[in-house]
Amino acid sequence: MDLVDFTNIDFNQLFAMNDETNPLMMLIWILPIFLFIFYGQRIQLIVTSNELNKAIKKLDGFRSEARSELLNYVKNNLNPKNDPTKKIDQFLDYFTIMPVDMDPNGIVEKVRHTVRSREDYTREHVQLLSPEINDFELTKVQTLLEIASSLQMIYKIINHMFLTAKKQNNYPLILPLQMILPFIMEQAEAMRDAISPFKLGQPVGDGIGPMVVGKMMLNSPKESIAFQTSLAKLDFDGRKLSLLKAEGPGSTVGRPADALECLVSDTKIDAIIMVDAALKLEGEDSASIARGFGAAIGGIGTERFQIESIATSHQIPIFSIVVKQSVKEAITLMTKDIANAADDVRSQLYDMIRENTKQGQSVVVIGVGNTAGVPQ
Amino acid sequence: MNFSKKKITAAFTVELCPKCNALKKRKFSDGDTLFSTSAKCTSCGEITIIEKIFGETLDE
Repeated sequence: MDLVDFTNIDFNQLFAMNDETNPLMMLIWILPIFLFIFYGQRIQLIVTSNELNKAIKKLDGFRSEARSELLNYVKNNLNPKNDPTKKIDQFLDYFTIMPVDMDPNGIVEKVRHTVRSREDYTREHVQLLSPEINDFELTKVQTLLEIASSLQMIYKIINHMFLTAKKQNNYPLILPLQMILPFIMEQAEAMRDAISPFKLGQPVGDGIGPMVVGKMMLNSPKESIAFQTSLAKLDFDGRKLSLLKAEGPGSTVGRPADALECLVSDTKIDAIIMVDAALKLEGEDSASIARGFGAAIGGIGTERFQIESIATSHQIPIFSIVVKQSVKEAITLMTKDIANAADDVRSQLYDMIRENTKQGQSVVVIGVGNTAGVPQ
Repeated sequence: MNFSKKKITAAFTVELCPKCNALKKRKFSDGDTLFSTSAKCTSCGEITIIEKIFGETLDE
């Protein structure tokens, strides 16, 4: 085999620009420069388009996988009277128009009303698919529906941005898409992986709050205090504890703010402690525990607003304990590290109660998060 | 050529015996729910309680 001898190249001749330079060689060097000046963006557009195309095909696969998983689940487990395909396809395309925020006065009430109306509508229509459906299955189907419609929405938006940039042959328009795509793909993959645990009724990473509080509620009488929200009262070290969590083992987050409002209306509360999962920063250890102040609750913000308003108007301090995890860990099957952190969180919670309240005082402990697979 | 092994997540259930505190880890089976009663303890015969359900990522 003949090998090219790279040690024998005459660089002076190769890069020379004098009278003796071969015009053909000059053309070989100069042509690409002009090519990149005039068509550089087009070339970049083609290269980037290929990458984006692959990602969009993946997103398309995710949304059709989520749709077929949902359809199979409904057909196999709910025994619907009619074929649910058309109805479910309609659900997947449902959109929510958020209230106008030009005048922010009263916006939280409006957002809460819109979001709850959507939830109520979905619940009622899933019930119509199979009137004998129990609450456990109903919450599962609702969550699967949310996942499938979110994946559908992600695919549609990303595809729209991509096609618009391509149609206009506009490279700068494709840049922001290229930048956000890794984050979008991470979230979409997490949602795809979340289907299985929700179908099987397994606890997810976000369920660490309900898991901690649920175990404390086990041997106490429970009552339903707000929609899909459970309350248990018990005494601990001379303090009166009111434990709140979403009603498990269905897949729901309950309405902790409504429950808190109910509690403060007839009892004097001296402290609120919230236990929740929190997104970890890059470099932070998964399942690490942190304590802090303020309402630890995610979502669209309406629950947090309501809890903060109640706490402010009654001058109640809010403490929080969070378990750090990634987006994927929060919505997929609970990892071993997170599950193992539960006992430590519980002992830190007891420490927090002792440190921040006196004997005879009342404390509300809220286990925040999706309670799928976590009863009380 | 891709040399990375495909990873799968397997679900496990951990049962705790309330009498002798023995822990037993087994594969998750359909219907397992946290804090619910499970099989008898292999060492003392007491009914165990499901203490944890979690996933472990393994190479396929």
